[in-house]
Amino acid sequence: MPKLQTVGLGKRFGDLDVLRGIDVTVPDGAFVAIVGPSGCGKTSFLRIVAGLEPQSAGQVLIDGVKVVGPGADRGFVFQNDNLLPWRTVLANAMIGPEIGGRADAAARARTAALLRLVGLAGFENYYPRQLSGGMRQRVNLARALAIDPRILLMDEPFSALDAQTREIMQTELLRIWEQGRKTALFVTHQIDEAVYLADQVLVFARRPGRIREIVPINLPRPRPLSIKRTPQFVALVDHIWGAIEEDVRASVFNAET
Amino acid sequence: MHPRRHAGLISVLAGLTLWELASRVLIDNTLFLAAPSQIARAIIGLARSGELWRHVWVSGREFAIGYVVASVLGILLGLALAGNEVRRAALQPWVSGFYATPTIALAPLFILWTGIGIWSKILVVVSLVIFPVAINTEAGLRTTSARLVEMLRSFGATRRQIFLKLSLPSAIPFILAGLKLGIGRGLIGVVVGELFGARAGLGQLITQSAEAFDMPDLFAGVVVLAAAGIGLTACFSWIERRAVPWTQD
Repeated sequence: MPKLQTVGLGKRFGDLDVLRGIDVTVPDGAFVAIVGPSGCGKTSFLRIVAGLEPQSAGQVLIDGVKVVGPGADRGFVFQNDNLLPWRTVLANAMIGPEIGGRADAAARARTAALLRLVGLAGFENYYPRQLSGGMRQRVNLARALAIDPRILLMDEPFSALDAQTREIMQTELLRIWEQGRKTALFVTHQIDEAVYLADQVLVFARRPGRIREIVPINLPRPRPLSIKRTPQFVALVDHIWGAIEEDVRASVFNAET
Repeated sequence: MHPRRHAGLISVLAGLTLWELASRVLIDNTLFLAAPSQIARAIIGLARSGELWRHVWVSGREFAIGYVVASVLGILLGLALAGNEVRRAALQPWVSGFYATPTIALAPLFILWTGIGIWSKILVVVSLVIFPVAINTEAGLRTTSARLVEMLRSFGATRRQIFLKLSLPSAIPFILAGLKLGIGRGLIGVVVGELFGARAGLGQLITQSAEAFDMPDLFAGVVVLAAAGIGLTACFSWIERRAVPWTQD
């Protein structure tokens, strides 16, 4: 059984077809990246899977069970870190278990271990304002992992970071992901980020938001950053760019409509 | 070293010197104006005779009881306003109306209702302090970040959990600001409440001294009240720095 399946998923805002007929099947343990021009509905798709937004048509199935709202089986990593400023790093990462009513000593120990895994050992008692953007996103990731979700949903989590920090965070994400190999959906507008991270890239098209192409990424793992300079990698990026270029141009020239 | 602190200190000293000179040279009549040195002597005199402490005790009690009651009721009123749309629509015109009304004008009425004892003063203080506290509490609860609400929802948080873990803590800086605003208004309430009839208190000291044209004693009362206001506000700023450090940068 696939870990995640969407069947005829659609979303309308009035007359606007944000998403139409999205059929996706994600096997257990796969890392799937989603790219596409602005307005292609990739973030809406992720939010519907998270249960944060209702769909207009179709279904989302996790382990064959229909999704009807947010739940602890999915961990969401936000674009903005969305940390609570009055909570320490550890208390922020504990919010999921706390909401689930399982904030016991074992959960604290597990969350502390996760903070070490994401590279925040020694920062447990710091406040968000004392951390850099990259460190805040590490807390964001640890917070999503702390509920031990079946699927990790990530919405452009590195888009606010500078180019160098972003590359480091990509390698860090892969290192962390290799530890558990959780099924992951990762939305990004950076094609090289998608190719570097994923087993499979879903290329979205706009108007209506739909899947244009599913590109398998058969690069070996673990992947060093230097893989980005191999001909195979560059060819994949070029291919995906070719698939969305026209759409991106269209979205740039009439972004407001 | 600290140019800002020095500027403040020099400005105050210069002001006091000018005041001293003006009241000694230009006016030179204690019926119209008291010099800082005379005020200081008056405060010391009142303190030695024990009279000052009697007034401070009476006024302090009125302020403290009124302020605490108003804070509790104001926060509860703010919670009631924020909790539900219909309730807000029903309560909002009253709260806005009373906040805008100079309720101080009602002080004589309160005395008529409750006599010249402590209760009329408490009533005046409460009527002045409760509304800024309520309005700030409501504003703080209403400005809960939508992004953070969504973050909690993604973990399956209930409405109650969103309120307790997000809305309430993020409203605390607003509530503290409302309480801080209430200090000055509460002190005004004490003075005005005593103005219309009291046996003791700093307001009564001021009124009585004015009637006797005793400017040093009048200013002594004003200075003690001002010092109380400055001291209490400073205490609050200290509490704010400790309690809500994330709002300080």
